[in-house]
This record gives sequence, C-alpha cells and structure tokens, in this order.
Amino acid sequence: MSIQALLTEYGDKYLQALLTTWRLTVISFAAAFLIGIVITVLRVCPIRPLRMFGDFYVQIFRNIPGAALLILLVYALPYLQIIFPYDACVLIATILIPSAFCSEHLMSGMNTISPGQIEAARALGLTFFQMIRRIIIPQALRSTVLPMTNLLVATMLTTSLASQVPMRPRDLTGLVSYINTRAAGGVAAFVISAALYCATALVIGAVGSLIDRKVRILR
Amino acid sequence: MTQTSIRDMLYESPGPKAKKRIRFFTGLALILLAALLALVIRQFAVTGQFAEKYWSFFARFTTWRFLGEGLLTTLEAALTGSAIAFILGFLLMRGKLRRNRILRAVSTALIEFTRGVPTLLFIYFFFLVVPKTGWKPSAFWKITLPCAISACGVVAEALRSGVNAVPRGQTEAALSLGLTETRLFYKVVFPQAFRFVIPSLIAELVIVLKDTTFAYIVTCADLMQNAKVLISNYDAMLSVYLVVAVIYILINYLLNKISDRLALKLRRTAAEGSKA
Repeated sequence: MSIQALLTEYGDKYLQALLTTWRLTVISFAAAFLIGIVITVLRVCPIRPLRMFGDFYVQIFRNIPGAALLILLVYALPYLQIIFPYDACVLIATILIPSAFCSEHLMSGMNTISPGQIEAARALGLTFFQMIRRIIIPQALRSTVLPMTNLLVATMLTTSLASQVPMRPRDLTGLVSYINTRAAGGVAAFVISAALYCATALVIGAVGSLIDRKVRILR
Repeated sequence: MTQTSIRDMLYESPGPKAKKRIRFFTGLALILLAALLALVIRQFAVTGQFAEKYWSFFARFTTWRFLGEGLLTTLEAALTGSAIAFILGFLLMRGKLRRNRILRAVSTALIEFTRGVPTLLFIYFFFLVVPKTGWKPSAFWKITLPCAISACGVVAEALRSGVNAVPRGQTEAALSLGLTETRLFYKVVFPQAFRFVIPSLIAELVIVLKDTTFAYIVTCADLMQNAKVLISNYDAMLSVYLVVAVIYILINYLLNKISDRLALKLRRTAAEGSKA
C-alpha cells in the first residue's frame, strides 16, 4: 500500500496511536522524574538502609530489560494475586526503568557542584533538606537538561513496549504490527510510524538544547 | 574524585544529638524495609509459590544447561549486533565528519533516524516485511540485525564525541609533519578516540543485550525464549521468569560496572595528563 492509501484508511488510527504514544511518554516521564528525585534523595541521605535501598532500586531497574520487566508484571505477578490491567502494567514498566536512569543523571549532576558550596551552606546553618532543596536539586537539574532530554526520548522509545500487550488504543508500534497482520501495509506503514517517532524526538531534542542554553551553569 | 563523593560532603560528622536521630531513623527504616520484605515473602507463601514443584527443577543440571544454551544465543546476538552496530556507526561517524555536504546530510539523517525510532519497530520490520521481499534471514539475524541498526546511530555519536575530544593540536602537528588526512585519522586521532569511548561502547552493548530480549517475537531461541519452554514444561511461570530476570540484571550490572571502572580510569589518566 502507498503512504497515501494508508493515511486515508488508517489516518485517524495513526493520529490516535500518536496521541497514545505521547500520553504514555508524558505520564511516564513525569512520574519517573518525581520518583527519580525521591530515590536520589534516599541515596544521599545519612540513613544507611535507605541509601542501600536507593542503590538497589537503581541497579535493578537500570539493568532489567524492558521486555523482562513487562512480562513479569503481566504474566508472573498474577500468580501472586497481584493483577494490574494491561495499560497499568505498561505504565509501571515505562515509569520504573526511566526513574532509575533519572536518578543516575541527577547523581552525576550533583557531582558537578563544588564542595565549597556545600561547606558554605553548612556554615550558614542550612539543614539537610534545605540544602537539598535550595542548593543541590536546582543545580543538579540545571546541569542535567541534556541528559534529561535524552531520557525523555528514551522514555518515548520505551513506551513501544505497549505493543507487546493487547492494549487499546494501540500505540505507534502496536498499530504498525496490527496493520501488517491485517493487510499488507508493507514498508509504508513503518515509514509513517517511524516518521512520527522521529519528528517527536527531533522536537524534544530541539526544545531540550534551547532550555539547556538558557539554564546551563557555565563553569 | 569518586562517583559517591558528593554523598559524604553533604553533612559533617554528626554530633551526639544528630547521631541519636540518625540511629532512630536507621532503626525505623530497617523496620519498614523488613516489613516490605516480609510482605513479599508472605504473598509468595500465601499463593503457594514456594511449593517445591516450582523450584526443585533448578537443582537439575539439564535446566541450567538449557538456560545456558539460551544465554549463549543471547550473548552471541548481543555481541554480533554490537559489532555490526560498531561498523555501521563508524561509517556514519566518518560520513558526518566529511566535508562533502551530501554525505554529511545523509549520515546525519540516518543517525537521527536510528536514534529516534524504537528497536521494536525495526524488529517488526524484519519480522513482517523483510520475509516478503524474498530474502529470508534466520531467526538469529531477524533479531540481531534490527538491534544493530537501532544501536548504530548512538554508536556513531559516541565515536564522534570521542574524535572531538582528541586535542586539536595533534591534528595540526600531524598535518604539518606531512601525514595525509587518512593516515592522520587512523594513526593519530582514531586510536585515542576509541580509547575515550570504550565505556560508552560497553554501555551500548548493554542496550543491545536488553533489546535482544525481544527475540521471542521472531522465535529465536535466546534466554527468554528458552525460559518460555521451561515454563511450559514445569508449569512454573513466576519462578522461571524471576530467575531469568535476575540473570539479565546480573550480566548487565557486571557490564555496567566494567564500563564505570574504565571511565573512571580514563578520567584519572586525563587529569594526570593535564597536570603534567
């Protein structure tokens, strides 16, 4: 089928799929970001068991393949009488994995802060949480805009996991395999989805480097 | 400076009051984490997942041999995929650094394309479209090639950042010594660039290895696929998938550790070099 024929027949389906991919990406990234910050605070707090828990969490979700995690959530957890609907399983997987990478980026962002600032903050009598909130997090965020932009793109790519479960509405990857099993969509079906993914990634990248230029701390 | 240094600078050595508080919260955290663990174990026990039939076959040699065969295929696919990604990435990097405008534009477009499209889409392409063209690759290549293609853009960018990290003065020195541009690249720039990017290449190997988990789509007998066979033989979904997930995590953890070590070592050598 040509691209035009595909668009007239499946145009609204593609639009829906694009919106689904965007929705999954935005929700996953926002949640992963918040969890990433919490985990990072745990990893630097003075309470050793919490630090170890934070490190453990990051190592688990940084290293588990997305497919393995999704399969565990969808097929294995019901044996423990923990049953999530399909879209929840996808979201959990696409939140947990990026959250670990988010924490890793924040940790390396924190390492760019000079020790003198911490000493100054302590000399001024700031508490641990004041220091985290006023000194560490703002600077860690400002110096990690580019890694975070890449993480947002990676999160979008991870949401293609949604094609592995019977989830409705379908995401961009799921729609392509659906079209190809129903009719011979051929190369064109892939080209449309790929173009939509790429366009999104390029926009994210452009906005990211714009923000980075605005907020980066020159050292 | 190690990765964790900032952790220890955030607070000075605690006084008696703070020590007490830290002790209290440490205890509290331990109790909470223990409760969490107990909850997980309870759930396993309540649902009967500790039953012997779910775990006893892990004591058998054949189980591990079968999983080992799958793991071997996984590693083979990951290594082959990474090698192909390296070759493609190298070509793309060379293309992007050329003066020829068309070559540069094509390389840039290909890099952005492979970086912006999910691996699964490439896998479905090799699964659904490629066999219809008359070329019928085996299951192994149907998973390895898409993983390689999806990784090559990232490899190209990593190599390019490595090339850019080689001091400009060396290029000038080599050119003034009369080296041709090709010799300059292969004798002076690339060997150093390659050393710089070894950590990110290992990190990329981890990504390819994770992507090969999708081999069940093309029914290639990798670790995950063999796990499925085990599951249907012993009717033990949870235990097998948990063990397989742990295997994946351990391998990737090890690879990442090696990558971090090398990166740290490289940074140290660089710091010493700039001091001298």
